[in-house]
Amino acid sequence: MSMVYINIFLAFILSLMGMLVYRSHLMSSLLCLEGMMLSLFVMMSVTILNNHLTLASMMPIVLLVFAACEAALGLSLLVMVSNTYGTDHVQNLNLLQC
Amino acid sequence: MMTYIVFILSIVFVMSFVGFATKPSPIYGGLVLIISGGIGCAIVLNFGGSFLGLMVFLIYLGGMLVVFGYTTAMATEQYPEVWVSNKAVLAAFITGLLSELLTACYILKDDEVEVVLKFNGMGDWVIYDTGDSGFFSEEAMGIAALYSYGTWLVIVTGWSLLTGVLVIMEVTRGN
Repeated sequence: MSMVYINIFLAFILSLMGMLVYRSHLMSSLLCLEGMMLSLFVMMSVTILNNHLTLASMMPIVLLVFAACEAALGLSLLVMVSNTYGTDHVQNLNLLQC
Repeated sequence: MMTYIVFILSIVFVMSFVGFATKPSPIYGGLVLIISGGIGCAIVLNFGGSFLGLMVFLIYLGGMLVVFGYTTAMATEQYPEVWVSNKAVLAAFITGLLSELLTACYILKDDEVEVVLKFNGMGDWVIYDTGDSGFFSEEAMGIAALYSYGTWLVIVTGWSLLTGVLVIMEVTRGN
């Protein structure tokens, strides 16, 4: 396995931790989710190109399609939060008080 | 040095991921995500995947991040936070950069690293050879097979995109 995988795994773990640890904006967590999708795309493409898995080349494109779906859904939820509270701060999501 | 170009690009990839994973204001995070998308495209291009690299630029950066950009412009604040304006963000950024540099030095010391699997440095610039594939590019033919062998896949992804649009319209209806 080539050495570039170590860095791509590290990038995925970094965005995963960035998504799980909140600061003030909900939008930052969505951006970290997009980063996870990007690192998964690069990992998948590098594996497929290294091992000549020809028919699996359609898999990164399908991954992009579903990542676009999920990004659009996350953005629509953020827009609704921003419409209700004015900003997209995470501390506004406090209806569940336990 | 050119044999290490993919490794250097992947180090810069991780550093740009540190840049938005430390979460400054989202507009700066989006900017750094655009840069890391470009570097990810360069990594894929170096392994010979020209169509997949251009897909990153066109669909990912040109489609998804543009939407993120104007949604951020809609919900942004008057004084956005940079990496140097908050001590926690700056400390996390410098810690991330330093740990990446230390990891790179440890990897480059000898050409082989064993964590769970055995990683070696040869695979960056030489690819396993499984014989002659003729005059066509395997990756482009594989993607073109999406429409012949993968017809059901196209139907499922198209339907899920349509359903996603309907779900988003219902979510943003409000009241």
